[in-house]
Amino acid sequence: MYKYVARRLFLAIPVLLLSSLIVFGLMRVMPGDALTALMGESGNIGERELAKIRHDLRLDLPYYQQYLLWLWQLVSFHPGDSIFTGEPIAVSLGKAIPVTLELAALAMVLGLVIAVPIGVVSATRQDTPSDYVGRVVAVSGLSLPDFWLGTLVITFAAIWFHWIPAIGYVSFWESPLRNLEQFLLPAAVLGFRLSAATMRMTRSTVLEVLREDYVRTAWAKGLEGRIVVYKHALKNALIPVVTIVGGQLGVLLAGTFVVETIFALPGMGRLTVEAIMFRDYPVVQTNVMLVAGTLVTLNLFVDMTYAWLDPRIRYQ
Amino acid sequence: MALVNAREAAFEGTATVELGRARALWATIRRKPLGAVSAALIAVLVLTAIFADVLAPYDPLAAQPEIRLAAPSWEHPFGTDDIGRDVLSRVVHGTRISLWVGLLAVGIGTVAGMIIGLLCGYCEGRTDLVLQRLMDGIQAIPGLVLALAIVSVLRPNTTNAMLAIALVIIPGNSRIVRGAVLSAKQNRYVEAAQAIGCRHPRIILSHILPNVTAPILVIASIWLGNAILIEATLSFLGLGTQPPTPSWGLMLSSTGRAFMEQAPWLALFPGLAISLAVLGFNLFGDTLRDAWDPKLRRS
Repeated sequence: MYKYVARRLFLAIPVLLLSSLIVFGLMRVMPGDALTALMGESGNIGERELAKIRHDLRLDLPYYQQYLLWLWQLVSFHPGDSIFTGEPIAVSLGKAIPVTLELAALAMVLGLVIAVPIGVVSATRQDTPSDYVGRVVAVSGLSLPDFWLGTLVITFAAIWFHWIPAIGYVSFWESPLRNLEQFLLPAAVLGFRLSAATMRMTRSTVLEVLREDYVRTAWAKGLEGRIVVYKHALKNALIPVVTIVGGQLGVLLAGTFVVETIFALPGMGRLTVEAIMFRDYPVVQTNVMLVAGTLVTLNLFVDMTYAWLDPRIRYQ
Repeated sequence: MALVNAREAAFEGTATVELGRARALWATIRRKPLGAVSAALIAVLVLTAIFADVLAPYDPLAAQPEIRLAAPSWEHPFGTDDIGRDVLSRVVHGTRISLWVGLLAVGIGTVAGMIIGLLCGYCEGRTDLVLQRLMDGIQAIPGLVLALAIVSVLRPNTTNAMLAIALVIIPGNSRIVRGAVLSAKQNRYVEAAQAIGCRHPRIILSHILPNVTAPILVIASIWLGNAILIEATLSFLGLGTQPPTPSWGLMLSSTGRAFMEQAPWLALFPGLAISLAVLGFNLFGDTLRDAWDPKLRRS
């Protein structure tokens, strides 16, 4: 297992390096940069002043030097400053990451809480109205855009309950109730999409496991349906579900970009979208690399969990 | 003579395979109601896109401020927006934008992914190693995030959104094609073609490619739904289609959110259109998979 982990970590390095090159290259191809956007905001800035700002921000260095400098900043956890606001990116991320983590974690929990029971009911009552409803819910989750779902939720909550998203983030430690009130709806919107793919996989794996010989033996012994499904079938059926949840992590992280924008949550996603609007490429490239690195690490963790859950899996 | 007959037989064989696939698809559609529904939904979308100019009751860009934010009625079944434009007409014309972007993005992404996958699977070795690591590097970044970054670089508009989506599609497609090619290469007929001295391009185009088209088409149809969703998301964030062009995502963003309490229908209808389009293509992709590729089948 340790050799496998070491090999995966070793292989992750060139992948992340390539991703960093792609992101860095993209940001440099941009027509204009944050300084151009800043000029638009501040009015005319003289050529000498602009040159000084470029020099201070090291934008006048050759691209390869800028890239190596940026890599070093990433590795040493000092990703530089935002060109547009001047704030250290580490400070902005320090405020934004907990918000995104909380949103993603809540969405994951809600998604699984919705998906697993519906998937199990759908599989144990195959081709019944319960199954069709479950499958329609799953397909809807895959088809409904999260930004539309979020907009509808806000619209009808405003009309029926006179509720609007809170202005200003309240951390969990300040006020748990207000924090949960702020996060519940966005997490539910985000979790719904995750639950769709998970529910389909749960249904599929439970159906397969229910056809196994040991389950047939359990039925033949006269065990109650509840015990057969939950004690014998479910734990084996959930192992592949771990893989699908891992595969959905990228969708979940990308989804935070949209949901945070709709619900005005000051997370990493909203920070990145705003940085893209202002062409603040140090912020964009740092955030995108952070997302890529997180995904690679989480996928490795999911694979390790898969091996731990299923002792039959041996990594060479 | 034997070679000419073999060539004719190969073409007839290809035609037979295509007819067989069409029959398999038709049989699956008839057997599965959801397949029929999805096929009908896609047909409606395509016809709406083609005949948008005829079907839309008003000019989608014509503003009538005197009837701004009008509720749904006989004259305006989907209501009007904040400057009095008919929402139904804009939704109808938005079908054209969404399908156009979806088809082109998936077309470009599929062809590029197919070429890379064919090269990787057939050549293997260093070519495979380098290209697949490049695909890994692209895939490490979530699709929407990559599309956002690309569009911000190329400037937000419909064409650039389409190119961004195509780039997002390429790595996944190349992987699937690579797997299918590696599998097809094991067949005896490929070995036989190599033995009689066929050149590599001929082996790839005549022997391998026809056997990997099924998974390509299945994945392409599923990606159509995702492409429409990504385009709508980009437009929603202001990084896709630009005003005043009617795009479903842009309609949700520009007026749906701003006037959601006064005119909730502005948020309802464009979103419904996106959902139906994505649903149709997702279900149709499932149907294609059931009909053409049992190995990709899931419940």
